[in-house]
Amino acid sequence: MDTPAVVQQTCADAGHTSPAISLTGISKHFAGAGGEPLEVLKDINLTIAEHTIVGLLGASGSGKSTLLNIISGIVKPDRGRVCICGAASEEFNDWRAVSYMFQEDRLLPWRTAIRNVEFGLEAGSMPKAERTRRTHEALQLVDLNSFEDAFPYQLSGGMRSRVALARSLVTEPRILLMDEPFSRLDAQTRVLMHQELLRIHQLKPMTIVFVTHDVEEAVVLADQVAVMSPRPGTIREVVDIALARPRDPTLPEVTSYIQRLRALI
Amino acid sequence: MTEVVDDRLLLRPAPRRLRLDLIVHRLVLVAVIVGIWWLFSLSVPHYILPGPTRVWEALKLIAGNGDLWINLGITLWRVAVGFVVATVVGLPFGIVLGANKRAGEFFEPVIPIMNTVSSAIWAIFAIIWFGISNATTIFVVFMTAMPLIITNVWQGTRTVNADFIELAQVLRMPDWKVMTKIYLPTILPYFFSGARLAFGFGWRVSLVAETIGSSSGVGYRLRQAADLIQTDQVFAWTLTLVIMMATIEMGILKPLENHLFRWKKEVEAQ
Repeated sequence: MDTPAVVQQTCADAGHTSPAISLTGISKHFAGAGGEPLEVLKDINLTIAEHTIVGLLGASGSGKSTLLNIISGIVKPDRGRVCICGAASEEFNDWRAVSYMFQEDRLLPWRTAIRNVEFGLEAGSMPKAERTRRTHEALQLVDLNSFEDAFPYQLSGGMRSRVALARSLVTEPRILLMDEPFSRLDAQTRVLMHQELLRIHQLKPMTIVFVTHDVEEAVVLADQVAVMSPRPGTIREVVDIALARPRDPTLPEVTSYIQRLRALI
Repeated sequence: MTEVVDDRLLLRPAPRRLRLDLIVHRLVLVAVIVGIWWLFSLSVPHYILPGPTRVWEALKLIAGNGDLWINLGITLWRVAVGFVVATVVGLPFGIVLGANKRAGEFFEPVIPIMNTVSSAIWAIFAIIWFGISNATTIFVVFMTAMPLIITNVWQGTRTVNADFIELAQVLRMPDWKVMTKIYLPTILPYFFSGARLAFGFGWRVSLVAETIGSSSGVGYRLRQAADLIQTDQVFAWTLTLVIMMATIEMGILKPLENHLFRWKKEVEAQ
């Protein structure tokens, strides 16, 4: 119920630092169409350091969205251990420090932009004044303060996406999970949103894990890309993207990464 | 940010001049109707079709001696009570039936059956059970309004977006907040249109109930005037009802609806 007055921006705790997210031996089955269990994830091991941007890249059916849902705690794994900031997922109690951004913007149509952002804070019992202050700050961060009273139907796709981003950021999360968040946008707007996300990541230190099937998006955004292979979903390789930002996808060093990852999928 | 500012925002305010035209149109329409009425009344005895001036005199009479306000108040009060009870019962019922699939399937045939029973039949039952009293009219209004409210709320509950529920889930929002912040706003437009319909129907059937099961109210006075062949008073009462319903509809309900649901895309404005 209660939200801590000071939000920790780091997992550093009593002198030692633990990774933001660590996954050990994660497996997951779903009931398949023919009644036999379908193996979605098999023995996933992954450690994500604090403040890094990690992409989960894979074709459809590789279980990357399921893995994201397991990290977020809304899906329980059959086997394995999820640790958030060193604490086991079941014991971790600060879920409001973990934000989730969906593939669709999921803005409530009856709320204005600012009230949609505020929705991110309404699960807890934060005082109204503090909520208003934070909401304005988040909307300013995505550069939409002049549209705070607009209803979703009055906004363009890119603006709606930014409102959804602001709603995810308003809780000042330590970890931001994103499930193909920009896949519904046109190519041009998507590039703008990538720049926006990287700019915000510079301002607010947080760990970002995003799911994508777009190789170019993975290379432009991520510090590390975990390439997943389908049926059953496993991590084939974790590739470090050692390139300075901004990364122009037409530059040869960037395209060489893109080709390398394409070959891995 | 080089994104193009959406120009849909700038098109919002409705042009003012058009509304003035509309008022003129309405006034002309009323004048035409009154004119045709007056023409017909010239060739017919006044106890069959009284002319506009006769009705106006009758209206002044019942308004002057307080008859109008007392009976209008009584009827309005009965409609309001029946309507409020129908809402209090219908709203939670509709939500439960919509949210719980098994309950919904089980009770599904009840609503159409209730809707097919005529208000006159409810009125007769009411007289058997409650005699000549306020309860008779209230019961008839209730039985007519409740199925309408249940049906609409039920429909509304089924349109709740599962994506929004999931969003609330990842925010770790408690159940009661999901109810008030997602279910309620989704249902509200459906409830509102159901309530509007129920209020209109309730008002009409209250008159039927009052003509046969009451010793006061507009319905009772209508029948009394008809029995005494005071046709001008029958017309005066009718006119009062029409004006009152139009005022409630256009003066209160329509503006309220426009304000509450301003977030909806205006399709007809294009």
